[in-house]
Amino acid sequence: MQNENKISKISRRQLIKTAAASAVIMGSPAFIRNLHADDPIKIGVLSPVTGAWTVYGKAHSRGFELAVEEINAAGGVLGRPIEMVLADYQTDRRLVVEQANRLLRQERVDLLAGTFSSADRNAAGPIVKAADKLLLYPTWYEGQIEEYYPGVCNENIFMFGPEPTQQVWPFMEYMCNKFGKKFFMIGSDYAWPQVTNMFTKEKLKELGGETVGEVYIPFNTPQYESVLRQIRQAKPDIIFHSLTGSDTVNFRKQLVAAGMKNDFTLWTVDDEEVVTSGLGHEVSSGTYVSFDYFMTIKHQNNKDFLDRYQKRYGSDALMNTVGVGMYNAAHMGAMAIEKAGKVDTSSIREALKGIKFDKAPQGTVEMRALDHQAVLPSYLMRVREGWSSVNDMFEQVQTVARAVPQDARCNLPL
Amino acid sequence: MELAASVLLDTTLITLTLALAAFGLAIIYGLIGVINMGHGAMLTLGAYFTWAGLQLEIPFVLSVILSGFIVGFIGLLFEHWIIKRFYNSPYETLLLTWAFFLVTTELIKIVFGSDFRTVVNPYPGSIDLGFYKIPTYRTLICVFTAFVILSTGFVFFRTSTGIKIRAMIQNREMASLLGLNISLTYKIIFGFGCFMAGLAGGLVAPMLSVSPYMGDMYLVRSFFVVIVGGIGQILSGTIIGSFVIGGLETIVALFSDQVIAQVAVFFFAIVILRIRPQGIFSEK
Repeated sequence: MQNENKISKISRRQLIKTAAASAVIMGSPAFIRNLHADDPIKIGVLSPVTGAWTVYGKAHSRGFELAVEEINAAGGVLGRPIEMVLADYQTDRRLVVEQANRLLRQERVDLLAGTFSSADRNAAGPIVKAADKLLLYPTWYEGQIEEYYPGVCNENIFMFGPEPTQQVWPFMEYMCNKFGKKFFMIGSDYAWPQVTNMFTKEKLKELGGETVGEVYIPFNTPQYESVLRQIRQAKPDIIFHSLTGSDTVNFRKQLVAAGMKNDFTLWTVDDEEVVTSGLGHEVSSGTYVSFDYFMTIKHQNNKDFLDRYQKRYGSDALMNTVGVGMYNAAHMGAMAIEKAGKVDTSSIREALKGIKFDKAPQGTVEMRALDHQAVLPSYLMRVREGWSSVNDMFEQVQTVARAVPQDARCNLPL
Repeated sequence: MELAASVLLDTTLITLTLALAAFGLAIIYGLIGVINMGHGAMLTLGAYFTWAGLQLEIPFVLSVILSGFIVGFIGLLFEHWIIKRFYNSPYETLLLTWAFFLVTTELIKIVFGSDFRTVVNPYPGSIDLGFYKIPTYRTLICVFTAFVILSTGFVFFRTSTGIKIRAMIQNREMASLLGLNISLTYKIIFGFGCFMAGLAGGLVAPMLSVSPYMGDMYLVRSFFVVIVGGIGQILSGTIIGSFVIGGLETIVALFSDQVIAQVAVFFFAIVILRIRPQGIFSEK
């Protein structure tokens, strides 16, 4: 009897012990987090630090890093510091998938920020959806015009960069009145230039203008004679330019070498500080560029921001629209967490909707609740003659403090 | 008429520029049978050395020539240490030169960084023909290319060195039995091919963006040039191959757009190879 009793007692005790232990193990992540309030909030950053887009990767990751340092210096979020976990996806879409999974499963980050191109974002889309984590996306892009890609109309993705109607439409009237209404469009052969041109043509028609040519160039084209001839024959007032990367430089250098630079006005929606540096001032001067951010915009926020940025990374460090997108994403993400009071995905998502950041380098940035698209300032700049560095590269021509994007063509609200 | 003349001018410019870029590859592939996958990286190296030369305030022409010699020297070392042991195994040289490309591209990124670099056009301006303006610098490059190809032709067909090289291509064993120093000749040819690649890289730099991947743009095109023109036909083959790959693109783009033109040209190249697998000029 006694023996039996003893055995049953022990087994009962063991049972309780086992149950308690397993409860601790199973519940430990949430449990430990609640106990130790100053455990960091982890944010995974997907940056193209190496590979073809290294030129953008530097400003991209630094923008976020600077914001995280600022947030931590001011005491963190909810009393907890933010830890940024940087993952280099080497400008390779396959690695976007790999690194996003690593950040989510192994590093157990609370949310993700980054990716550079729409293709990268589309690669990350299904992953953040499946893991139910957020992705904060910083780059100018083609907008959410159809919902068949995983990287758009995705309730887990927030867009901090401008789409075409924010980047182009605000300045169409000014450019048409000043230079004329005949546009020649040249862009790289993929989605972003084509959609940008689609919107531009729509507005141009409204203004009574005309598209006299539209060409798309395959990536890595070294020779542009035939395009230059087409431009000469079409006699446009404005060359509307959306080539990307090294093709931009190749085309523009050959345009200048052909002696055509002064015959046409060139308006580009792709050449921020990085690319314009690559062009040099002989080739780039006199060009019009539009974006939500430039290093030379006259705004107190921008002055303060650049002071901090160049103090941290050196006086010749480049910043651009993507880096500022990442900077804003970090700050607005932190504000949302603070507002939500917790770090689960649906609370942050709800808190991010409609959040307003008035310390953004370009002015005030607001995250629209309806479609997760940022409402941003927009600037039209002219490249100065004889500029010597990014600090005197652009002069401000037109400013729109609040460029409101078109509604995303999704099932709204997201 | 004016349109025809301007198309002719453009076509000539493109053909000769592409011929310049492909020449180093044509020499190495055609004469010693090494498929130099490192050709693109050598072009890129030439461009970067030229950029570096200009930063040191060395005049442009001198910078380009120095770039050619430095890349040629790197090529010689590569040949001496590695390639010469693999002359009889084309697949191994293919892999080795591909490795050269990968390593060099990464080294360029480490040494020069990956920002875009600019080589300022040393001869801006254009020549006004009344009905058409042609860029001065492009014209100079084309004249230079024509000169290089013609003088190579002269060496090849009119000098005793040329006879030796041709003998060596026709029958390596016999040539070596007759006292020709095969390994030295191979070394010189390989080095000369690399020299030409470096020189071409420096010369095209003012027209393009200098970035770690700039050589890739010409690598695929250069291969088509060599294969379409005919392996071993380093003079006429290179010119005609360049015309098919580069010049036709301009002409087709007149009637359609750039994307279709590029596709059409490569399609045409494939058709040519189906009919004449040995290339347009080769005889066997």
